[in-house]
Amino acid sequence: MTNHNDFNLIASSLVELKDTSELMMDLAYSSLLLNSRELAEEVLRLEEYVDNLHTSFEMLALKSNFSKEEASGFLGLIRLGVAAEKIADAAADMAEVVLRGIEPHPVLKLAIKAAEETVAQACVTTNSPLLNSTVKDACIQERTGMTLLAIKRGEKCIRPKPELVIKEGDVLIVSGYVQGVSGLKQLASPDDNCIGE
Amino acid sequence: MPKFERIKFKPIPVRDLLLELKNLSELMVDLAYSAALFNDAELAEDVLALENRIDTLEYLLEMEMMIAAQGNPKDAETLIGVAKVAEATDKISDAAADIAAIVTRKIGVHPIVGAVFEKVEKRVSKILVQKNSPLVDMQIEMLDLQAKAGIDIIAVRRNKTWIIDPKKWGHLMAGDILIIRGPSSRIKDFKVMAEGRNGGTLV
Repeated sequence: MTNHNDFNLIASSLVELKDTSELMMDLAYSSLLLNSRELAEEVLRLEEYVDNLHTSFEMLALKSNFSKEEASGFLGLIRLGVAAEKIADAAADMAEVVLRGIEPHPVLKLAIKAAEETVAQACVTTNSPLLNSTVKDACIQERTGMTLLAIKRGEKCIRPKPELVIKEGDVLIVSGYVQGVSGLKQLASPDDNCIGE
Repeated sequence: MPKFERIKFKPIPVRDLLLELKNLSELMVDLAYSAALFNDAELAEDVLALENRIDTLEYLLEMEMMIAAQGNPKDAETLIGVAKVAEATDKISDAAADIAAIVTRKIGVHPIVGAVFEKVEKRVSKILVQKNSPLVDMQIEMLDLQAKAGIDIIAVRRNKTWIIDPKKWGHLMAGDILIIRGPSSRIKDFKVMAEGRNGGTLV
């Protein structure tokens, strides 16, 4: 039988695989919407991370002493991991379009903007209540229903850690249902005077 | 051997094709994980059926691309990006079908996965609508759940069949089983409401 500790490790690797692959999808769509190299590069960095994670997940699963009865269930686990990796690959394929310098066709932007689950950006301006608060205290999810995927600060793309402080000029990259977009923009730039929108 | 049909050209705007490819591929992923999590063979079969729809959309989109390029190299260079994105959504739907196949081929997923899904950020959950829930007789579209609660009803089980993507479809009834997706904090509140445990307050 597989012991409890091994289970936890295997489980958390799979969670990480699933979450990262879905984050990559959102970021890839964002990179197309904004024609952003930084975001596309982040997707490819995550792709490499997922490849490594996937390998160590499979090793963990194979090395755990599962019983004969558990073999089928473990095969199912392995296949879930393979599927998550495939989704990550697909996200990388999309990001590649941006990195090849192909200006995304306007129809792509139209479709992404109209999708049920969309991605959007909002620039943080001087009078935003988010200014100087940490990602954790900003409670963007609670306030707008949108999930913060990344922050673009100048040329850099930062993954939001809870303790990261939000600064003026930060561009928030979010995903969620399209109904939340206007709330997010209102929160980040109340006067809608952000340059580069 | 699956049956392959000839796909005839239909003039559908590229934007609409792309939009449906994106929505459908993501819906399939969420449904497939649900099927794996709840070990539900019928739901898994439905995911596999959606795969056909994706293939058709992808064919139609590529035909549109070919017509749109009209022998113009510059246009071809920008349109290739659209084709690549469409291919990627197809790959995502393939992955969803792979997950569904774990269930339909009776491989099953180790129960560990239940514990896994308790922890993920964006969760899918299965919820029964109770008799005294304020959801009973409500029209799904009118609930406006995406805006109000950040969650989405992606499938409803009624009379032993699954209704996929039921938004425009009608009223909820007591006894309906819902598959919803959204952040886990919101799912908890929704569950309380569906089970009629909060004295009937809506969202």
